[in-house]
Amino acid sequence: MNSVPEPDPKAATAPTAAVRAVDLVKRFGELAAVDGVTFDLAPGRIYGLLGPNGSGKTTLIRLLTGMTHPTAGHAEVLETPMPSRPMLERIGYMTQADGIYPALSVAENARFFADAYGTDRSGVAEALELVDLADRTKALAGTLSGGQRRRLSLACALVHRPSVLFLDEPTVGVDPLLRVQFWARFRSLADAGTTIIVSSHVMDEADRCDELLFMRGGHVIARGSGDELRRQAATDDLEQAFLTFTVDGLETAS
Amino acid sequence: MSLRRLRALVRRVVAEVRRDRPSLALLFIAPIIVTGLLTYILREGQSPDLALALVNQGPPPAALLLTPALEKAGIDVQPAADEAAARHLVQDGSVSLALIIPQDVTTGGGVKVVTLGLDPLADGTDLRTVGAALTSALARAAGGVVPKIEQVTIYGTGSDDPMVPFAPAIVAFFLYFFVYLLTGVSFLRERTGGTLERLMATPVTRGEVVGGYLVGFGLFATIQVAILLTWALGTVHVPSIGPLPAFSIGLGIPIVGSPVIAFLVVLLLGLGAISLGIFLSTFARTELQVIQFIPVVLVPQFLLSGVLFPIESPPGILQPLVAFMPLHYAVDALRLVFVEGADFATSQLAVDVALLAVIAALFGVVASLTIRRDVV
Repeated sequence: MNSVPEPDPKAATAPTAAVRAVDLVKRFGELAAVDGVTFDLAPGRIYGLLGPNGSGKTTLIRLLTGMTHPTAGHAEVLETPMPSRPMLERIGYMTQADGIYPALSVAENARFFADAYGTDRSGVAEALELVDLADRTKALAGTLSGGQRRRLSLACALVHRPSVLFLDEPTVGVDPLLRVQFWARFRSLADAGTTIIVSSHVMDEADRCDELLFMRGGHVIARGSGDELRRQAATDDLEQAFLTFTVDGLETAS
Repeated sequence: MSLRRLRALVRRVVAEVRRDRPSLALLFIAPIIVTGLLTYILREGQSPDLALALVNQGPPPAALLLTPALEKAGIDVQPAADEAAARHLVQDGSVSLALIIPQDVTTGGGVKVVTLGLDPLADGTDLRTVGAALTSALARAAGGVVPKIEQVTIYGTGSDDPMVPFAPAIVAFFLYFFVYLLTGVSFLRERTGGTLERLMATPVTRGEVVGGYLVGFGLFATIQVAILLTWALGTVHVPSIGPLPAFSIGLGIPIVGSPVIAFLVVLLLGLGAISLGIFLSTFARTELQVIQFIPVVLVPQFLLSGVLFPIESPPGILQPLVAFMPLHYAVDALRLVFVEGADFATSQLAVDVALLAVIAALFGVVASLTIRRDVV
């Protein structure tokens, strides 16, 4: 069990948390989709939310972005309690669904979201360049391939140069080559100071994150880098490590 | 044919429909609502309490027989001194029609019936009710001579065009219908396609989303209204050219009032339909369900706004419901404009237009409240 934030050796001088969850709970009737999650996420790093379908990843992201109110606890982004409308200008959110307008062109989609975020359109070309769609600006989004649509979806979350980026299963349905490109993009954004929270249920993507949060049944059951988690679970395989923590978690719970 | 495969298909169909609760509810409830309303309207709505102003200048036998005969037929008779006074009562809405019995009624003089002329269908129903009582009473007094009945209207030219009584309701209804459908389906796509969720993760407010839809679709509604009214009210005669015979384009429905006011009325109705579409899309998961709302939401308005049946005053228990029906006010306003030639100096038209605006605004607010809910 490792849901409590690890002490940061540079705490005195380090920048404050980019994202903070304090005892976050979200219930849907009897089901607790997120059940008492607490963590601090430092700026400029890539965090992986890993867990099987239904483990609470999407609900946690929706709580952190202020898309839904918590049943208990609270979330902060850049030290601002969520939900906060002004803070949305600094958050990028790529939903699981593509969430783009098929009847609009690539450029029109990106420009629309730039306007919705209330920023100038200078980030549009940059975002489309970043996802390799600069040469398809006039194509209608509805005519793009699945991978291109995912890329456009990512671009639409980047047009306003967000400080914190939430990516909900960004690589689902994306071919291996494009997946590599996506992760290269994420890394370059993080290097430029963007905090990135990526949810995934694909373990082989996990090693690309600076830190992982294993989720199961609405809880964060473990946290650490891929190597740390493997070492703690005494295995070379991250999937095996996840299972170990799950079993430990179940035993602890019982 | 394999029975096993057939059974699998039947099971699947039944399971799918059974789990589609809204469709299932509508499948059973919608026909009950629609047929119930229709029956209620046909039974109750067609025989509203009828009041008339009577100017009775006829000789004693006729005069004495007439009032009891009318009252026996369930008509409220209010005596009036002369035709001017009676017309005044019709005009201010105290009575539905005025009956003027001349002195020479027993010797062949014609009876004059004055109606408002705003709703020719309702006038016709009233005339039939009065006519039966009148004819039998006067025929007895005049010794079997049936008097001639002459109908005059206060407003309107008494046009023979059978489209006139229907035009206001038909123009309003079909605009309402198409705008609702377009908005409902578009907004449903916004909800189900994930774009609304994404839009809500930007600083865009609910009010801005509804405002965007109102102005965006309002633009198309404006064009639609302009085209529809031009088509309905205008006529262009094309003379015969060579072997082509002469023909006309446009329905050429005669109206008395200003097409500009009619345009404004229908446009307000259209804005209300946009909000309604956004609001109802909350409760729909598929495009089919948007269509299934039509019998529950649109058909009652259609029936109660007097498109097919004259509804002088809606049946009692439905009155509170009718108060929230924009189509009712739009049809009433259009009748005033089309038939009476009313402008905003007419208080009833001003009230209708104000209520249309209020309902459109109210639905807009309600629609915006449906947006930021927990979208799964």
